[in-house]
Amino acid sequence: MMQYILKRVLWMGPLLVGISLISFLIMHLAPGDITTTEASFNPKTSQESIQKLRKLYHLDEPVIVQYGYWLKRMVKLDFGNSFASHQRPVFWQTKDAQGNITKGMIQQAMPITLMINVLSMALIFSVALPLGVISALTHHRASDRAITIFVFIGFAMPGFWLALMLMYWLGVLHNLLPISGLHSLDAERMGLIAWTLDAGKHLLIPVFISALGGLAGISLFVKNGMLDVLHQDYITTARAKGLPENTVIYRHALRNAWLPLITLLGLSIPGLIGGSVIAESLFAIPGMGKLFYDAVLMRDFPVIMGILTIGSALTLVGNLLADIAYAWADPRVRRGVAG
Amino acid sequence: MRPFYFLLLFVLAACSKPAPSTQLQLDSVYPPQSGGVLVDAMTAEPSGLIPMIAAESASSAIASHIFNSLLRYDKNLELEGDLAKSWDISKDQKTITFHLKPDLKWADGKPLTSADALFTWQLVTDEKTRTPYASDFKLVIKAEAPDPLTFRVNYAQPYAPALDSWSGLQIMPEHLLKGQDINTTAFARNPVGSNYYRLAQWKNGESLVLSANPLATQGVPRIDKLVTRIIPDPAAQFLELMADNIDVMNLDPIQYSRIVPARPELKQRIALYKELGNGYTYLGFNLKHAPFDDKRVRQAINYAIDKQELIDGVLLGLGEPIASPYKPGTRWVNPQLKPYAYDPAKARQLLKEAGFVDHDSDGILVKNGKPLAFEILLNQNKERITSAVLIQRRLKEIGIKVTIRQMEWASFLGRIKSSDFDVVILGWSLSLDPDQFSIWHSSQNHPGQFNFINYNNPKVDKLLEQGRLELNPDKRMKIYHEFSRLLLDDSPIVYLFEGYGLPAIHKRIRGIDNPAPPAGIGWNSQDWYIPEPLRRKEISP
Repeated sequence: MMQYILKRVLWMGPLLVGISLISFLIMHLAPGDITTTEASFNPKTSQESIQKLRKLYHLDEPVIVQYGYWLKRMVKLDFGNSFASHQRPVFWQTKDAQGNITKGMIQQAMPITLMINVLSMALIFSVALPLGVISALTHHRASDRAITIFVFIGFAMPGFWLALMLMYWLGVLHNLLPISGLHSLDAERMGLIAWTLDAGKHLLIPVFISALGGLAGISLFVKNGMLDVLHQDYITTARAKGLPENTVIYRHALRNAWLPLITLLGLSIPGLIGGSVIAESLFAIPGMGKLFYDAVLMRDFPVIMGILTIGSALTLVGNLLADIAYAWADPRVRRGVAG
Repeated sequence: MRPFYFLLLFVLAACSKPAPSTQLQLDSVYPPQSGGVLVDAMTAEPSGLIPMIAAESASSAIASHIFNSLLRYDKNLELEGDLAKSWDISKDQKTITFHLKPDLKWADGKPLTSADALFTWQLVTDEKTRTPYASDFKLVIKAEAPDPLTFRVNYAQPYAPALDSWSGLQIMPEHLLKGQDINTTAFARNPVGSNYYRLAQWKNGESLVLSANPLATQGVPRIDKLVTRIIPDPAAQFLELMADNIDVMNLDPIQYSRIVPARPELKQRIALYKELGNGYTYLGFNLKHAPFDDKRVRQAINYAIDKQELIDGVLLGLGEPIASPYKPGTRWVNPQLKPYAYDPAKARQLLKEAGFVDHDSDGILVKNGKPLAFEILLNQNKERITSAVLIQRRLKEIGIKVTIRQMEWASFLGRIKSSDFDVVILGWSLSLDPDQFSIWHSSQNHPGQFNFINYNNPKVDKLLEQGRLELNPDKRMKIYHEFSRLLLDDSPIVYLFEGYGLPAIHKRIRGIDNPAPPAGIGWNSQDWYIPEPLRRKEISP
């Protein structure tokens, strides 16, 4: 088992290099660079200043050479600085000679996106699990159909439209919830409880919107898993033993039905740091989605590469974790891997 | 079945009637008073607050509250002193001497002197400084600060846009920036200036708070705090305005003339203003490509386009036709010039003179066997796309076949900069100085430069050169009036329209000039005030 994990970890290195090379090349396929943004179309900018900038960032050199520079920095885990005029560090904070700390761009955006995604994930699982179980138990009956229709409406509903409607309904008409932003303007002067409550109110609609679309997938997974398991012989055996129905369902059936979810959880790890551009723009949340989108529009290559690298590393780690967890949870898999 | 109840509840509640409006006496008259908080919103966060480095509108919008320049524009867009009390121009027009106002102070209490102006000039012209705006200042061959109140610059030859350039260069504090790397300094997020406000707080990606600067060089402003929230989505901004969470936002024509008037509750709280925008939209010809090298063809197209139709259809009437590339209401506009009238008959006649005839009656004009057809290139901009469609129809009526191609900005710019297009719809923003050398002079048509339409008129070249050498505003005005006349006659571009800026401001904000002067309503924002009874309760400073 340990050998298997070690092998997988060692493979990650070359895989990451390959992924980053492909990302780098594709990124450069898009026309333009930092000097061709809409803002740069200004008769006051001189041609020399553009050339100066391109030279400074090595944009005048072949793509593969530029990749070399990037890789050289990356092996030292240096994500570099943004091409934008503020030139902030892409990943983590730096300190200048005077002791002023400049925070990293990903460092600031990641916790916000992570919090929203973890909350919405928790909401998805806590709602989708019971929905899936109820659906399976009442298969082909009214409540199963109702749940299926509901989760599919949630899946099919355009998130931005529903978000705007909720913002209008709860924020403007009834004045119950804040419309956008993460904190109220006077949040600094609140106590801890009031502050948390305030942040919670701001997050309510964004988390709800981001969870709604995910309900369908998870609840159907649980439902199908449950249905499969319920027809197994050991369930019949358990019932024949005279076990109470609750024990049969929640102890014997549900545990087995959860197995596929482990894979799903592992695969959703990289998704945790990916934000939605549309939701973040609507709710004025400075998260990862907006950061990435703006970086793409500006052709801010270090930021794009930074986010892609972290994303692909997390995908690989998530896959590995899912496999390990699966082996840990299911003896059949464990035996297969060891053998 | 629970989900159904939830949905039903949602639909029912969404139809319920709006919350009652505030009970404020919004139409009473109040005398000016100090205090209060103004909340506005912008779509993008500034990347830093040193405008010469950030070089973007979000940054200068905030930085203009924090820093002063030597000169500034008054409400009629004429230059006046800002940090400078007055300025002299030498007889040979090569030397400008600025006399600073006495006892100027930075917000940290240190004196602001001509040494700071000299330092700022050195900063902007330094090779290591990554600013796109250095070229104007590199023309200065000698700058000196002979005493704390005098700052003098010498040019090799008279340079008329110099005064405008000094109104755009915000003076930075030497005592805080000396020895620092201006490109990466922490000062950009923690600036110390000399203007009405200073930065009190910057929450990354969320908001910037400015508070009144008690040492302000131009007097203390009436409103205590300016809060700028960063809300990227205009629809969300509008909802915030409706919920009374922000006081100011710029509307689009639909919000301005349809949505707000249709909601009495909103109309009662929000005052709508109209100010001249700072740019115009045009249809530009590539003059190197046939048939656009023929003036008659360009003029014919100009006559065939109904500008009023564009203004009504694209901007819902909220714009103006223009006849010279300057902001209406300023001295640079030649009052004798009128836009080309909509006159399809004249257009047909001009095309006929140019040799275009419809031989086979298929509705398309032909010359030398080649049909009169071209492609309009544009980027993904809703106003420009709608304009292109309207223009396509009008040109079809006189026998020109037009196709429209929209492109993503970076690819679009690639085609523009290499002059790889027939006709383009684009916009120019209007600078306050009349010099437009880089746009129209025939020497500026190399790849990457801004005369990408390849306009070439020796008379215009001469005028543009003269205009740069003449610092006397009245003599300069004559030069640019003549320049505008030639430009309009040559018709290298068709001026389509200039849209209005459409700010909506809560009625609690008083002291706003209506109608707006040429400089826009923001010119006297330091005198705006919020009467005590109308202030927001929850965010009192």
